[in-house]
Amino acid sequence: MRINDILLGLVMALLGAITIWASRDFPSLPRQQYGAGTFPTLIGGMLIIVGALMMLRGLRYRKALFTWQSDMTPARVLLCTLAIIAAVIGYIVLTPVLGFPIVSLVMLTLMIGWLTSGRWVLAGVVSSAATAMIWIAFSELLHVPLALGVLEKVVY
Amino acid sequence: MAELQQALSMVFAWDVLAVILGASMFGLFIGSIPGLTATMATALLVPLTFFMEPLPAIAAIVSATAMAIFAGDIPGALLRIPGTPASAAYTDEAYFLGRKGQVGKALGINLCCSVAGGVIGVFILAFFSPLIAEFALQFTSDEYFWLALMGLSGAVLVSGADSLKGVVSMLLGLLISMVGMSSVSGQVRFIFGIPDLLGGISILPVLIGFFAIAELIRRLPEVGNTSIPSPPEVKKPFEGVGQAMWQYKGGVARGGMLGTLIGALPGAGADIASWVNYAISRKLSKTPEKFGTGHPEGLVSASAANNAALSGAYIPALVFGIPGDTITAIIIGVLMMKGVTPGPDVFTTDTVFVNAIFIVFLLANLLLLPLGLLAIRGARHALSIPTGVLYPLILIFCVVGAYAANNSMLDIWIMLGLGLVAYLLAENDFPIGPMILAVILGPVIESNFLRSMIKAQGDMLVLFDRPIAAALGCLALLIWGAILFSSFWNMRKSRRDLHLT
Repeated sequence: MRINDILLGLVMALLGAITIWASRDFPSLPRQQYGAGTFPTLIGGMLIIVGALMMLRGLRYRKALFTWQSDMTPARVLLCTLAIIAAVIGYIVLTPVLGFPIVSLVMLTLMIGWLTSGRWVLAGVVSSAATAMIWIAFSELLHVPLALGVLEKVVY
Repeated sequence: MAELQQALSMVFAWDVLAVILGASMFGLFIGSIPGLTATMATALLVPLTFFMEPLPAIAAIVSATAMAIFAGDIPGALLRIPGTPASAAYTDEAYFLGRKGQVGKALGINLCCSVAGGVIGVFILAFFSPLIAEFALQFTSDEYFWLALMGLSGAVLVSGADSLKGVVSMLLGLLISMVGMSSVSGQVRFIFGIPDLLGGISILPVLIGFFAIAELIRRLPEVGNTSIPSPPEVKKPFEGVGQAMWQYKGGVARGGMLGTLIGALPGAGADIASWVNYAISRKLSKTPEKFGTGHPEGLVSASAANNAALSGAYIPALVFGIPGDTITAIIIGVLMMKGVTPGPDVFTTDTVFVNAIFIVFLLANLLLLPLGLLAIRGARHALSIPTGVLYPLILIFCVVGAYAANNSMLDIWIMLGLGLVAYLLAENDFPIGPMILAVILGPVIESNFLRSMIKAQGDMLVLFDRPIAAALGCLALLIWGAILFSSFWNMRKSRRDLHLT
């Protein structure tokens, strides 16, 4: 999706203004005019200038605020983006409760099954193998504390 | 001599060799799949390197990227789809040579020239970087401030047609780097009440978000909609390769040397090196009309250049700690996570380590020959893996990788958020390169500036006091002038186009 320069410029300029506002209280170094606020203020100021230039450019062309340029339909792109967001947030929320093995297995099976339009056996086999390999590599070899969740009671 | 021996024994330890072999296979696989880039291979490797010693960590990234840049040539020659952007310059050339029934020769030339270019690059790297390091020992915070600023501005200048968007991308990266406690004043900034952000946003989830999650969001809708045609079988690789390379030896040498030089320039990496070399070869050729129809001369120089550029990018990265491209930006991030700060001091205090890195480079480039041959043979299988299976696996690997460094769910949130931002920005033609360089260079620029100001009690002119600093400063200002000029010129040009239509 292409967003008009007016909107993009506006967002950048706003971001710059917020940055300057948020860094107004940073003290400068002793006996100096520079300090922790110098760079954030400078960056914020430049964002405002560049954002304004982008808005000017956008105003001159008067294109639509949003245009679609991809070969894919907007619905398809939105669905896929939401699927990724849902998968990642699902992982964050569910792993502490259900444990990594279950979440990873279910997430991979669902995604692969969906993307290969229904090859569920393949999805199940690949997901089990991948989950086992990631568990062995990260949890056993590298000692990353991947959560076991409810499985903790089963294992111990 | 004793140092060289020590370095050799460091590299030829079984764990380092195993890492090199494993990372090479991984790099060949990722590079040969269209849409997955060398930078993505690096970003996916970083979580694993987090658990390694510094040398194997660098070895993993060096070998994976060298392999991935070559492997990008394979689908280019077979299917006319470049595997990585660095192969795009000569994809048509290789594909049309293949259509003439010489696909083996095309890939053989790609492989041998990649090795030649890589080796030339390594020798230039190994010869020049200690010399530059010796010179750089006299640098103070003034020079480093300008060097870092130059790295950043170079990245903006070469990032694409629209330098205004390049500047925005850089500013956003700088903003990300401001989060956390300032290293000079200790002031806490922009942590939004989250104590985990005190140490700043860690580099790992940023990398994975920018280069893997954003790419996945872009690629996932294509699954099932675009089918990759089945690639032709490769027969007799290497037939006629030696003859072609001997005939165009000048092109190979030029590709290697110019590629290294372009790689060493801040901001310019393997893709630009291969485009520039392709264009120059065409200009210098006695038969420029044959270019674009499957002419070996179009392959040799650019094939060598992109692999050479990889080595070249390490010159500023190792000597000054200033990354020349996205991959070395990642390397510097990895080294800093391990407590090694790249810079000229490393060359005097840790010669063995530096030599070991050079040996790893040479080894990785030489290994490219047998492993690359295997990859050419195995490419049909790699290309037949359905992307619908591959992408979810990459996603889970990203999530676990982002979590692994700090065992923190916050990092997964950061990865997701920045991935979405990077996707939206890239869709609107914002280059991502300046952003990642800014994330790395932001603190370098700020802390060196503040240090210089503390020394000079706030007198800005001190930044031009020393001759080298003054020269670097003028150069940096010149680059900024070029950026301003190019964006102004672009605006005028597009206005003229608008009037014409």
